Amino acid sequence: MVFSSITFLFLFLPIVLAVYYIVPEKAKNIILLIASILFYAWGEPVYVILMILSILLNYFCGQDIEGKSDDPVKAKRSVVFAVVVNVLILMFFKYYGFLLDMLNSVLPAAIPYRELPLPVGISFYTFQSLSYVLDVYWKKVRTQKNILYFALYISMFPQLIAGPIVRYIDIERQLVKRQISISKLGQGAMFFIRGLAKKVILANTAGEIFEQISAMPAGNLSVLMAWLGCFSYAFQIYFDFSGYSDMAVGLGKMFGFEFRKNFDYPYISKSITEFWRRWHISLSTWFREYVYIPLGGNRCSAVRNIVNLMIVWTLTGMWHGAAWNFIAWGVYYGVLLVLEKYVWGVSLDDAPGAVRHIYSLVFVMIGWVFFFSPSIGYALRYLAAMFGGGAGLADSGAWFILLTHWLLYLLAVLGSTRIGYALVNGAIGVFADGRPRMIAAGVIYTGMFFISVAFLVTETFNPFLYFRF
Amino acid sequence: MTENMQENVRTNIRTKRMTAPQIMKYIIVAVILAYIAVLMAYASGSSRPFEEVEAALSSALDGSGLKKMDSQMLKRNFGLNSADYAGVMYYASESSMSAEEVLLIRVSGDSQVQEVADAVSERISSRKNAFDGYAPEQVKLLEDAQQSVRGRYVFFAVSPDAEEYRAVFDGSL
Repeated sequence: MVFSSITFLFLFLPIVLAVYYIVPEKAKNIILLIASILFYAWGEPVYVILMILSILLNYFCGQDIEGKSDDPVKAKRSVVFAVVVNVLILMFFKYYGFLLDMLNSVLPAAIPYRELPLPVGISFYTFQSLSYVLDVYWKKVRTQKNILYFALYISMFPQLIAGPIVRYIDIERQLVKRQISISKLGQGAMFFIRGLAKKVILANTAGEIFEQISAMPAGNLSVLMAWLGCFSYAFQIYFDFSGYSDMAVGLGKMFGFEFRKNFDYPYISKSITEFWRRWHISLSTWFREYVYIPLGGNRCSAVRNIVNLMIVWTLTGMWHGAAWNFIAWGVYYGVLLVLEKYVWGVSLDDAPGAVRHIYSLVFVMIGWVFFFSPSIGYALRYLAAMFGGGAGLADSGAWFILLTHWLLYLLAVLGSTRIGYALVNGAIGVFADGRPRMIAAGVIYTGMFFISVAFLVTETFNPFLYFRF
Repeated sequence: MTENMQENVRTNIRTKRMTAPQIMKYIIVAVILAYIAVLMAYASGSSRPFEEVEAALSSALDGSGLKKMDSQMLKRNFGLNSADYAGVMYYASESSMSAEEVLLIRVSGDSQVQEVADAVSERISSRKNAFDGYAPEQVKLLEDAQQSVRGRYVFFAVSPDAEEYRAVFDGSL
């Protein structure tokens, strides 16, 4: 089920919220767990079993690791077992076809194989499970004895399908006790509506433009058209994913949870390092805590540090999908971060703010070309078009798109900076404290909600981009 | 056997005895393997080229009276653009009094599976509305329609022989 669907908005969510607020404190986790399993089973009736098995596996792995904590060798063996099994399951469902395709490309005769669709959310819930077993091993957390609480941690529907990747350590106490109030419900609803509007108004419209442009052969794109396509995709993926994250944070609040933010206006960054501190924060944090630091982080020689960075970023690319373009995208960022750290980072710090901003945006846009391209060859042809190797500087089609969609681009620019948020808050802040301000907020957010619903009823099925990861 | 040796044996047995969580995790891994085996047998798609699956299904449809439809009909009836997919085969009856049709699509990416499945559900619903009240036998065919998602292949058939076509589809993967 998708958050931005009529079924979710007008059936599933109201029923779950109503039941959740009516039942006594003790039953709330059970209701949320049942709702989460139903939510997942709605779209993945077959793979819900896999998710339940993954929950049981990690629940017992956690207990086994803690039970052996007095014997470091046995505890280590146990955690290695847990990590290997989780990674193998993820690799089987995500990379098995890719690996066989690679093998087939070098073999004289292709090996036919049976393929399975990717279970939605598997990358997210596997990473959450890994964070749990590793934190138990490092004694940062105690095991969760109550299997219902643990199942809820893995399967909680607000963040199950596309994150943010919530670490057990951040949510351990909230699973047992959390504050639920009408005021928090209201805050959550505001977050949710903001995310919904980002997704259905901005991301989907930008996505339509990107689809039109990417359907043209890369060699036939003018410079302006290629850059418009790239910016449209940049806005689509940002509003799509940050919209989903806002909805997840908002839903979490409605049920009394506090999730950490996953985006912090990444397009205002003045370096690539800063961009990755602001983009998909939960994934970067996960890789830092569970891969980069255990590898030695930056407390080692420069060469070792560069190797560590490249490992982390290659894995980050691979995490996004079983395709060479994602690996290239990960390696591209690894190289850029190494260069910023060891080559031009100091000079960059001394450059004017505007130059640093343009530098970041240009490299981020180039990165998106690798990300959205179906192959490395297409990415290179598209990049060539962006820098003059296509069909001239500008064409009438590009001007037409720019002139007919200037409002979208303006809203997208405002929405991806702090200005958009400040404008909405400013409009609400005009009214006096208390009731008038509450009414103003209510009117603005209700308006945003109904505009979003109007967009939803007229468009075809449009899932979130990060569902495929 | 000396007392010391006996004590060592007892200690070894104690340390080698598996704990309940350890046993459970091995059992669950075994269940996951069995589950994957079942998925591979009954729910998986195939890397087999679309043309081979299409050929198998087309020969089963010979003599069915259904006619091969073009991309415009696919767009009109299902709202789908054939260019978006790795392969499309669509047969339907030319008679407006018949609900019979067979659709086979190989999607280009996993994210398209739901899109096609939704289009099929929508099609069934609209056809039921169209035939409701005056063609109960067509409504019955729609209720008994065969749908299957196997990996990247989506199959849909409305026909008295829908089960047979489904078996051909399954066998062709």
